[in-house]
Amino acid sequence: MEALTQLGITLMVLTVTYLVGSAIERRHFDSLRKREARLRAFPTVTFERLPEGWQVADSGLAMGSTVVSLDYFKRFLAGLRGILGGRVRSYEPLLDRARREALLRMTEGAVADGYDAIVNVRLETSRLASSRGRGKGTAGVEMLAFGTAVKLVRQP
Amino acid sequence: MPILMSNTETIPGKTIVEFYGVVSGNTVRAKHVGRDIMAGFKNLVGGELAAYTELLSDSRKEAVARMLEQAESMNANAVVNVRFATSSVAQGAAELFAYGTAVRVQ
Amino acid sequence: MRFEPRAPREGINVSATHPLREAALLVAGVSAIFAALILVVGWSVEWAVRWIPPELEARTFGDWAHHLSSPEHEAERLAVEALARRLAMHWPGAPYEFQVTVSDEPEVNAMALPGGTILVTKGLLRESQSENELAFVVGHELGHFRNRDQLRRLGRGILYELTASALFGFNATAPEVTGFLGQMADRGFDREQERAADRFGLELVQAEYGHVAGAGRFFERLVSRTSGLGDLAAYVSTHPASSDRLEDLRDYAAERGWRREGVLQPWTRSD
Repeated sequence: MEALTQLGITLMVLTVTYLVGSAIERRHFDSLRKREARLRAFPTVTFERLPEGWQVADSGLAMGSTVVSLDYFKRFLAGLRGILGGRVRSYEPLLDRARREALLRMTEGAVADGYDAIVNVRLETSRLASSRGRGKGTAGVEMLAFGTAVKLVRQP
Repeated sequence: MPILMSNTETIPGKTIVEFYGVVSGNTVRAKHVGRDIMAGFKNLVGGELAAYTELLSDSRKEAVARMLEQAESMNANAVVNVRFATSSVAQGAAELFAYGTAVRVQ
Repeated sequence: MRFEPRAPREGINVSATHPLREAALLVAGVSAIFAALILVVGWSVEWAVRWIPPELEARTFGDWAHHLSSPEHEAERLAVEALARRLAMHWPGAPYEFQVTVSDEPEVNAMALPGGTILVTKGLLRESQSENELAFVVGHELGHFRNRDQLRRLGRGILYELTASALFGFNATAPEVTGFLGQMADRGFDREQERAADRFGLELVQAEYGHVAGAGRFFERLVSRTSGLGDLAAYVSTHPASSDRLEDLRDYAAERGWRREGVLQPWTRSD
């Protein structure tokens, strides 16, 4: 009886977090696509050296980051996956979103500061341990994108 | 023709004629409990955790494959300056991530 | 070298599998693993119990449970113990020296503890309206001893705990699932055990009184009151599906031609 009540509550929380979580996810992907399309013409590359022919007038460090966390439903799936092993599909959209968001924030910042391109882009991921459960839980994941923003004398 | 890859500025012996932007590939993997327990035993004596080596290298291959798929969808024929990042995104789950710049070389 | 803005195709870094499909697969997979685990634990306990002689069990656990009894229930404790030993006379070669412990709890419950100790709650003694009724409950617990269920329960408990903590101890989500499955599994094992213990209890009551009147009374009241639960909830949760069992008892008595009517011995109820 008690087990059934507990199961019922768990199922309800799973349903609600699934619905809300996927709505938020869908909206975020839409926003990402729109903003990416707007910034498509802005070059971001992992080259360490400047492409030949570029004349730099000014440069600076560009950075963008975001901390994201999983909804309960996806964490539940990931928990089960931890028993069976294999591909943790429920994490992929989250990390993809977070990484694109970090890249976009970096680029948007550079655009706002009047830069023309970002070279030597680097991406970092780090897990923020939760204070609960002796640091074993995950509070969130931070994505950091950084690179060297350059202003060009002459457009490439 | 397969897409070329390097972790240097260019593909040796070729010149970049066009570049398209950053491409990336990821995969998140969890190990199953059986492997965990075996690794626990192995940890007592040390040495290579062969099962983990295999799991991680398989996953990394998949991350690379996804990165190449992105490059292919951009009609690139090479990815240069490739970087890898491995991070533990949750207890028992690791993300293997690869990224680079999609280019056309000649 | 020219910059040509291009975007990669959408969705390469995100698996196309629908989350709900993934959820269904995962739940099925984990349930399968858990079911296998339950079977393996069940079998190994069955196997182990056969190798532990009751004498060893009695020596190991011996007087342990004796200390649970509150001293102010000593008179009742002795009365129930006398009843238990009288019933046990109809079980020739019983390998235990049966002892009774009365616990203070208001819930209606009884339990067979390793080593030959029967624990009855104050609530049960208060609820019993005749000696026959109480005798059936005590006989039921004696049935558990005959089938060594008390050891099984203990063994399963320990093994579940050990394997679950070895396998899932680190996992944040799993306990909700595994805990529920474990409870369900236990219930599956219990059903058969409870039925066997019921029949043995009924046999003892028939042998002692020459009829089985009163035996089912307890269940009848349980069934009629299960909707309200209340203080009977504890008994129902460890002794599931009372109505099924009541029916089984009736059939069992009818097959053997045991009388369901007879003179009930009074039980001095306490408050």
